[in-house]
Amino acid sequence: MPAWLDQLRESSADVVERALQSLVSVRNRHRGAGAAIVWDDHGMLVTNAHVVGRSRVHAFFADGREAEAETLAVDKDLDLAALRVGLQPLQPIARGDARRLRPGDWVYALGHPWGVQGAATGGVVIGAGSDLPELSNGDRDWLVVGLHLRPGHSGGPVIDACGRLVGLNTLMTGPDIGAAIPVHVLEAFIHEVVGA
Amino acid sequence: MTTTLEDLSRALAAAVEEGGKSVVRVEGRRRLPASGIAWSDDGVIITAHHVLERDEGITVGLPDGTEAEASVVGRDPSTDTALLRVQGKHLQPAAWADDSSARVGHLVLALGRPSDTVLATLGIVSALGDAWRTPAGGSVDRFFQTDVVMYPGFSGGPLVDASGHALGLNSSALARGISLTIPAATLRKVAESLLRHGRIQRGYLGVGAQPVRLPEEIASKAGQATGLMLASVEPGSPAGSGGLLLGDVLISLDGVPLRGMEDLLQALSTDRVGKTVEVGILRGGQMSSQKVRIEERKKEG
Repeated sequence: MPAWLDQLRESSADVVERALQSLVSVRNRHRGAGAAIVWDDHGMLVTNAHVVGRSRVHAFFADGREAEAETLAVDKDLDLAALRVGLQPLQPIARGDARRLRPGDWVYALGHPWGVQGAATGGVVIGAGSDLPELSNGDRDWLVVGLHLRPGHSGGPVIDACGRLVGLNTLMTGPDIGAAIPVHVLEAFIHEVVGA
Repeated sequence: MTTTLEDLSRALAAAVEEGGKSVVRVEGRRRLPASGIAWSDDGVIITAHHVLERDEGITVGLPDGTEAEASVVGRDPSTDTALLRVQGKHLQPAAWADDSSARVGHLVLALGRPSDTVLATLGIVSALGDAWRTPAGGSVDRFFQTDVVMYPGFSGGPLVDASGHALGLNSSALARGISLTIPAATLRKVAESLLRHGRIQRGYLGVGAQPVRLPEEIASKAGQATGLMLASVEPGSPAGSGGLLLGDVLISLDGVPLRGMEDLLQALSTDRVGKTVEVGILRGGQMSSQKVRIEERKKEG
């Protein structure tokens, strides 16, 4: 194998390995399993509203620890939820900026597709912004990625080539097209939660 | 220091940015807008025929964010391509990759501009097709089949290589279920014909024919096992005026072997319209040739 290909292979694995430390598996009685992300080192997790529902949520961490999570806030329109667990220390994910991504940029989605724990899938950014086909109401920003999102990816991170969080896996608009909520929308949501 | 992965990411995004300078939005149908490729700097754009549901009121969105009214130069439904022209706008024509450079397994990107910004999907070249006759009767040179996802509005946009150079035009309407790219060689022929005549000229001979097995001696001399026996010759047609007779077996046209009907249809291409060509025949057991002037087929029969 040429040296550069080995470097590509290893840098890809490094980025995924690091981000997986911040990936959480969440379960509740009614909705089965989904994913969540460690947001900060005070026990804040973010995920999709459709992953948590109303009932109690149990969170499982990459290092094997688990805890009951308290639901801090749910925004069904944005499809976002903030949870808190009483565990320390946790590994928060590094944050990037989806607005600085360009179409063609390499990204990964992490999650638990079909219940497979801590799985990664790769692809490229198709586009970002509020004016994208098939995401009709142009009143909010999306990050659209060309990769295989499956049930169980919801609430998991989309990360860039540096391993920084750029979005939250939320829905599929085609067999190989996923739509993620960009990180700046997550930040605004969390700001509301913390500020309130 | 950046990792190889970051380099890859940056290089792919740079290819999109480069290729995207020649990708325009084409608004010519009720639903979603489609895409087009800047063909020349004086305002010619190549796009897919099926995304133009009308001939009037077509708007083009340019990479610089401005819009312009476009007129239809011509269409070739048989290859699902069409040419548009915008007036008074400078376009950056696509940089075309070397036709023969693409290999199965190469990284490629499909680009489109259904809204203001350029969008991209990544894949690889899955197969290089042979020259192909489309269901609508068009002839396509070696085409590309890829596994890129055709995002909504990508029809009429380019397939580009890893440096952002265009390989062809993506069409989702020519064949079902696969992403098919019409190569630059075909686009050049179609564009040339549409710019000159406003349509694709097809050659007309005026015969009905069926494939027949050639006698062994003739077959070995001609290097082909079959020819086309004339079952009818229209009076006054190029074939009739050129001295072809009922019962003649066509062996070649302008040096192209005629083994079956497909060969004859291929041979009656745009570039032979108006030309006088040698038709090799077998008549009364003897090989000879006749000069025939190929005319333009006026209407589909």
